[in-house]
Amino acid sequence: MKNREILELEVNGHRRQTAARPYDVLLDVLRDGLDLTGTKRGCDMGTCGCCTVLMDGKPVLSCLTLAGQCEGKAITTIEGLKDGAHLHPLQKCFADAGGSQCGFCTPGFLMTCTALLEKNQEPSDGEIREAISGNMCRCTGYVKIIEAIQQSAEVLRARKAGNEGQADV
Amino acid sequence: MLLPRFELHRPSSVDEALTIAARHAGDCDFIAGGTDLLQNYKNRLNPRGHVVSLLGIDALQELSPTRIGALTTLARIEESETMRRELPILVEAASKVASPLVRQTATLGGNLLVETRCYYFNQSEFWRRSKGYCLKAEGDVCLVVPQKETCYAAFSGDMAPALMALGASARLKSLDGERIVKLTEFYEGDGIKRYVLRPGELVQGVELPPSATSLRGAYRKLRLRDTFDYPELGLAVTLGMEGEKIRELHVCAAAMETVPLCFDDLTGSLHGQPLSDSLIQLLGERIVKRVKPVKNTALSPNYRRKMVMVYLRRMLEQLATAGN
Amino acid sequence: MSEPKSGAAKGVIGQRLPLVDARKKTTGEAVYTDDIRLPNTLVGKILRSPHAHARIKGIDTSRALALPGVAAVVTGAENRANFGVLPISKDETALAVDKVIFVGDQVAAVAAEDEEIALEALGLIQVDYEVYPAFLQPEDSLKDVADPAHKIHARTVGETNVHKQVDQHFGDVDAALKDARIVRRGHFEFGSVTHAFTEPHCVIARYDTDGKLTLWSATQVPHYVHRALVEVTGLPMHAIRVIKPMVGGAFGGKSDPFPHEMAAALLSMKSGRPVKILFDREEVFLSHHGRHPTKTDIAVALDRDGKISGLDLKVLIDGGAWGSFGVVTTYYNGVLSAGPYDVSNFRYSGKRVYTNKPPCGAMRGHGAVNSRFAFEVLLDEIAEELGEDPCELRLKNFLPEYTTTINEFRITSNGIAEGMLRAMERSGWKEKYRQLPPGRGIGAACGFYISGSALPIHWSKLPQSTVHLKIDMDGGVTVHAGTADIGQGSDTMLAQCVAQVLGLPMSRLRVYTADSDMDPVDLGSYSSRVTFMAGNAARRAAEQIRTELIEAASRLTGYPAEGFVLEDELVVYTPLPRIRMSYMEALTEALADRGALIARGSYQSPPMGGKFKGAAAGLSPTYSFQSYISEVTVDEETGFVKVEKVWAAHDCGRALNPIAVEGQVEGSIHMGLGQLLSEQFRYHDGNVLNPNLLDYKTLSAKEMPEVECILIESGDPEGPFGAKECGEGPLLPILPSVANAIHDAVGVRIRRLPVTPEDILQGIQKNRMERSDVAAKIRVA
Repeated sequence: MKNREILELEVNGHRRQTAARPYDVLLDVLRDGLDLTGTKRGCDMGTCGCCTVLMDGKPVLSCLTLAGQCEGKAITTIEGLKDGAHLHPLQKCFADAGGSQCGFCTPGFLMTCTALLEKNQEPSDGEIREAISGNMCRCTGYVKIIEAIQQSAEVLRARKAGNEGQADV
Repeated sequence: MLLPRFELHRPSSVDEALTIAARHAGDCDFIAGGTDLLQNYKNRLNPRGHVVSLLGIDALQELSPTRIGALTTLARIEESETMRRELPILVEAASKVASPLVRQTATLGGNLLVETRCYYFNQSEFWRRSKGYCLKAEGDVCLVVPQKETCYAAFSGDMAPALMALGASARLKSLDGERIVKLTEFYEGDGIKRYVLRPGELVQGVELPPSATSLRGAYRKLRLRDTFDYPELGLAVTLGMEGEKIRELHVCAAAMETVPLCFDDLTGSLHGQPLSDSLIQLLGERIVKRVKPVKNTALSPNYRRKMVMVYLRRMLEQLATAGN
Repeated sequence: MSEPKSGAAKGVIGQRLPLVDARKKTTGEAVYTDDIRLPNTLVGKILRSPHAHARIKGIDTSRALALPGVAAVVTGAENRANFGVLPISKDETALAVDKVIFVGDQVAAVAAEDEEIALEALGLIQVDYEVYPAFLQPEDSLKDVADPAHKIHARTVGETNVHKQVDQHFGDVDAALKDARIVRRGHFEFGSVTHAFTEPHCVIARYDTDGKLTLWSATQVPHYVHRALVEVTGLPMHAIRVIKPMVGGAFGGKSDPFPHEMAAALLSMKSGRPVKILFDREEVFLSHHGRHPTKTDIAVALDRDGKISGLDLKVLIDGGAWGSFGVVTTYYNGVLSAGPYDVSNFRYSGKRVYTNKPPCGAMRGHGAVNSRFAFEVLLDEIAEELGEDPCELRLKNFLPEYTTTINEFRITSNGIAEGMLRAMERSGWKEKYRQLPPGRGIGAACGFYISGSALPIHWSKLPQSTVHLKIDMDGGVTVHAGTADIGQGSDTMLAQCVAQVLGLPMSRLRVYTADSDMDPVDLGSYSSRVTFMAGNAARRAAEQIRTELIEAASRLTGYPAEGFVLEDELVVYTPLPRIRMSYMEALTEALADRGALIARGSYQSPPMGGKFKGAAAGLSPTYSFQSYISEVTVDEETGFVKVEKVWAAHDCGRALNPIAVEGQVEGSIHMGLGQLLSEQFRYHDGNVLNPNLLDYKTLSAKEMPEVECILIESGDPEGPFGAKECGEGPLLPILPSVANAIHDAVGVRIRRLPVTPEDILQGIQKNRMERSDVAAKIRVA
């Protein structure tokens, strides 16, 4: 279409350029423009949370975010969560604890939970439920997702304690 | 899902935004977080050819107990320690809007102007066409109340009743200048034309009287799930006591009708009286008699009205003891 | 080297293992259908009917075809071939032929260069309709139609819109009702609920220059899609390849072959290019194939010995526009109700009707959920009336293990009583039942479910499951099966079964499934059949490989094959454990002069069941059993229910992977609670009022109760390592156990689902009025 313009976005730490229409949402640009298909399209109406990405560290619904409003923001998608070849503790815990069954909601949950654990490494059960209450899962009944988040928080706390311990030495 | 075509404008000041809006008057929407507007656009509900993004504007971000900018996100209100201390009712209301993901980008301005809800309106173009369209979008008959020529879609914002109950006013600006309108006077009309905002006029935010922080306040929301859902009833109550007597009492409600309702005419006469069970009962009965929800949301109108009484009593009991 | 004590669990069976694809699902690497990008792909879009029932007088596609960027348009006039999941009711077509029968019915399909053009093209198609009266209430469909043209489908019972009628009678129910100590009756109504999986349907069809059609689709049963494509495209079966990529949840909702899959194939054949069709959420709702709404009349009789002597069931089933699995549904509403109890007299009359609404089909707990609810609630009422403990009443009436039911189901392993006792103990039932403070309550209910259908829907001597294995010199084991992993973990299950037999770690296993060119036929992921059937096939295939490895070890060592076992990547001669070699050594010997080891295992249900009409329905090689106890709090002023905790005992035979089994139980509880408390299709005439995930209300993390899974391992004699199903049965008892708990809390009985807070509040207020009436009478007296 003639109405596409070059859009420059910072995604997963890299500056990426792609042609986009003024009425494209971020989800479409990520999936179709940048080939980052890890971000999922569930309801496309802001309810299910499958399309959650981080924008400047905050979890946002990419299906209800205009791509044209994202320039200058740091976007992190599920593809950017790993540290090189190393899984983020959330990724490992979701996999190991059964927090992911069909996996379709998993990227969205992981982005939401990344933001949660950045803010709060000792979330209570209630805080976890509140934090994930914008993400829908139809497989797990949320039980093992909550367990996975608790386990991840524990890993992150231990890691932090370890780092602090080292710093002391 | 593809959005309808529009041109996106990204001004960096309020005046620039107003100029663009004036240039495309009648074919223009402002967008901030977009969580409401883009859903409606995806459904082809009254889309415009020009969309003016406000996110590049540095102003309109203030957050204090006397002034909240339209671009302040609901998450910021929810997380603000100052607001939690000074105006907890707003934190309560903000934290009950939609889901935490929506609240990250949804703004105060957006929630004040949030599109009304109705089963027969918030549907895809395919759906609406198959029903011959509703009064609010393309059609000429209301599918809920077919004999009427007004729209009954429910006002579904959570912030408005809470702000109204605190005596807040909206700060509006257009190329013609600024004006301040009490929120209780801001909303009027039916489900289509629901406020006094003029074409090309922008809500810059709200301002609250300094005395608002002296009121105890609570906001409760009726909905099937404790997340996602729009209010089936959103009840805001603020109370100021002088000893055992009511100094000030405001009750405001969302989702009962097409605009948020304020019952100052019923509560005004109660000032100076002790807050008794019978007073609460009488007030509740009067409010229940007044509200007229229709059958266009998940819970029945009758039940929603009944809950006004239950919520009102619980909230007033809570507020009465909160001060002791 | 020390040897493990005999009897100590070795290997991967019973371990809490992550799913084999779990990590990829956490990184975005997992590829679902919509993530596949093929070169030169067109976007397909579907024009849908705005009418519930109408004749198509004409379709003009010329303007759409003339639009630049449109590559192909198809309509029903070009392809009238019928298909459908059941050979006995093939009443679907790729696109509507001559008439439309629900709002959302597919009328035409367009393939274009991009989405914008495709949508514009849809708007240019002119369809001329003659609107017919719509049949929206199931009762209306029972009547003879005024005009034969108004029959929704040609093949029905007489001049009605009744699709299927089932009547069964075992024993003498009338006598049982007459002689009973107590009879309870009830009329129940169940709303329409749907799967609400997170991944919308998506399909890519590619018809290539070699005349071969490849279809990637989010399906539970690639094999049924394969069969339907043959009927619709006319291509030979071997020219069609069906591949299931990752599937984002299904729960029965992706088990039919779908018209949009057929339309994508036709568009690709017409355009010569790949075509992708992705549904928006509204389309998912309009195509739902969810649980059939039913109206259920039930009577339960208890005799003087406290035994359930009679069950009389009459069910009216609203099927929506198509047959789908409906014939099976009609049977299941009856035949899966009497068990898990030993019911001595049983009668069932079921009618499934067509209506002009989105089609219903199979959904988790297929056919069994609603009748189960009615029965379990009435049992609670009987216990209440007799002043008995409802759990004790159930314990007195459970089927024993290894028995035959009155409708000739063969029952093998059965751990239901153990489950009931453990749930009672864990929940503190005896201290809580009828003793919790007002507004709090506890309730129990049970269930049972098939572990695969013993008879396939296409009569054939082919096995129901076949698994191929291949091991080459790299030492990795590839597992090939037609099974469909839809998130439930069937790939992991297959790998575990093979790894266990071969004494290998999971890292050596690679599972390739659901590709009709590469994998043997499997009847797919529905009716909770995969673990039992494909698990057995995998085990059998692996046993052949094991034999070959052991023979190789025997050749190399000179010791007799009988003494060797495979464990921990070793081949060990157990009489003299120092005689051992690595798995790779044995493998190298086994490969010598002949190349890769390959093996095939299969499963076919043994013959079973009665000879009467409909005897095959509900037959299964084994059954799972559930005993649940739920605790709730009810707000007596608002009617809101909070489910606090569920003690869920489920007899899965053997938990091959407890994490996966618990996940099925927990997910089932979530889905069942939704049907009970919040989920339903709302209609305005033929239009679904809430075709989106905001207004169709699945419960959130905030509403989900704490769940304690109590896995009962009864050890099925025919199951792989003793296992049986865990994907569907666990849904059944959650609804009635919570309903019974609500009654314990506030004295309100539930007759209509979903139960709204308003219903409960009305019940509470009615009780209060009745109580004050009684009090007034006492005062007067």
